[in-house]
Amino acid sequence: MPKHISRLIILLVTFGAAAYAAKVFFTADSFYAYGHYRGKSVAEIASDKPKYKGSEYCQSCHAERYAEWSKGVHHSVEIGKVVQCEVCHQAAGGRDAGGMFQHVATGIDHPASGKLPVPTDSLKLCPLCHEKMPGRPAEQRQIVIATHAGTQQCTACHNPHSPRMIVVAGAAAGQAETGAMGKAAICAGCHGGEGVSVNPVWPNLAGQHSAYLVDALKAYRTGARQSAMMSATAAGLSDADIQSLSDHYAAMKLKVAASAAGSASAAAGKAKADTCATCHGAEGVSGNPAWPSLAGQQKDYLVGALKAYQEGVRKNEIMAGMAKGLSDADIDALATYYSSATVH
Amino acid sequence: MAVKAVVPEAHAATGPTPPPAIPGYDWTQHRWGFGVDATKCIGCLRCVEACKRENDVAADAHHFRTWVERYVYLEGEDKPRIDSHHDPVNIEASGSEGEYRFANRYKDAKVEKAFFVPKLCNHCTHPACVQVCPTGATYKTEDGVVLIDHNYCIGCQYCVQACPYGARFFNERKQVTDKCTWCYHRITKGLQPACVEVCPVGARIFGDLKDKQSPISQFIRNNRTYVLRPESGNAPNVYYVGIDKDVV
Repeated sequence: MPKHISRLIILLVTFGAAAYAAKVFFTADSFYAYGHYRGKSVAEIASDKPKYKGSEYCQSCHAERYAEWSKGVHHSVEIGKVVQCEVCHQAAGGRDAGGMFQHVATGIDHPASGKLPVPTDSLKLCPLCHEKMPGRPAEQRQIVIATHAGTQQCTACHNPHSPRMIVVAGAAAGQAETGAMGKAAICAGCHGGEGVSVNPVWPNLAGQHSAYLVDALKAYRTGARQSAMMSATAAGLSDADIQSLSDHYAAMKLKVAASAAGSASAAAGKAKADTCATCHGAEGVSGNPAWPSLAGQQKDYLVGALKAYQEGVRKNEIMAGMAKGLSDADIDALATYYSSATVH
Repeated sequence: MAVKAVVPEAHAATGPTPPPAIPGYDWTQHRWGFGVDATKCIGCLRCVEACKRENDVAADAHHFRTWVERYVYLEGEDKPRIDSHHDPVNIEASGSEGEYRFANRYKDAKVEKAFFVPKLCNHCTHPACVQVCPTGATYKTEDGVVLIDHNYCIGCQYCVQACPYGARFFNERKQVTDKCTWCYHRITKGLQPACVEVCPVGARIFGDLKDKQSPISQFIRNNRTYVLRPESGNAPNVYYVGIDKDVV
């Protein structure tokens, strides 16, 4: 064999052997164990530590909260709607000292890693699921925030662990008051601590006639007057509660700023208000305690009430007759007038 | 052949290789599958947040292993408007890139139809991403999960290009590609993937296709299901209910 050919063969064989040796040397032991990959990597990936622990993990220490939650609508197993603890409170596992989520190997579990966050802004958290939004299925409970609660925190009325249960705001704040004051704390969530409601679609209560408030609460309790919120609230009140609550609000002085007074709409309302004045008083303060005073009442509430009478949702023979003849513009004018009327 | 030479001798002598050493878990006993019931999804994005926490994914809007798309058909328009949590309007509504929320941007529009579609890696039976990987860093396991070996990934991102579903992304911190593992570290311990665990409405269904009573087997049996891009030949394993022809 010519020298140059044998050299070439030796070169090729040496190169091949070196390449093979390099491949054997550099290929991980477990490569090709199950296929064209490093077999050990499967167990490595599987060895990561789970961070979401599940609600049972919380139960041993937070038994009371767990019991509350497991009976509420946020734990509706039968329809597959379960809001686990960690959805709102974040994952219990795998935190570093600063409460952040770092690599699994260094993570520490709650409680050793410190407290889990308690969401403070329910008005940001709850609408993630419950804000009315195109695309959400109809079965999902949804609210239009502006008309449902305004800027009020959801937790003022709802217990987040069992949202259908209405929170006793006073108890939540650590006040162990009983009687009218304790109950009034519940009302204050919507109707304000001073009897001036936080949302214009809900009525002001301060300075209202006690007899009218008693009638209204009893009507909610019997179902004669309907409201998802008020029916549930009134159902838990005794006659004595209703009387003391009504007296409590009647004794308050209504403090509202007369904002829209003097506007064209208010003037139009004043012209229309002659009929109303017979019962509700010339200045919007009714002469008969069974009829509500209207002066300084929330405008949106008045509009809603007149429309409810028109549609028969709210039943009262006299008011139904009165409201029937009113146009939307009339209602708006009247509501503007009374909401801005000076309060005596 | 070279293949045999590198298999540890003990294994070669005893025939089939024993399954990976995962305590209390035998991958030959399982074949995992995932279901999405889009008729239930409320677009709360808790799955996106949970996935990021569970898997240590960068907390910005543009790196994610799972995501939710919103399809909105407005009156008089032929095509749906599609957005996801990383749309600038939604980032603004959430307040930061580390929080996830759909802005209520269509509340005053004339919406004919709208729905949310959760998406994630389809863990295909014939995955294109595995086909193109030059180093054997990504692979299909016996129990039906497509995983990435971060020690072997060189970050070339061929797989990112190959995936017809856009399920993969580049993890800049580790300089490797990343994607959903169906929470392999959880399912091998008998847990549900984090997104399934936190879904408040049961829109995500997970289970073992070999177990005829598992949630996923029942989901497929009791519904007319559909998979995304069946024509791609990847044979995806995420089964959808309640989506439209515009969802791909």
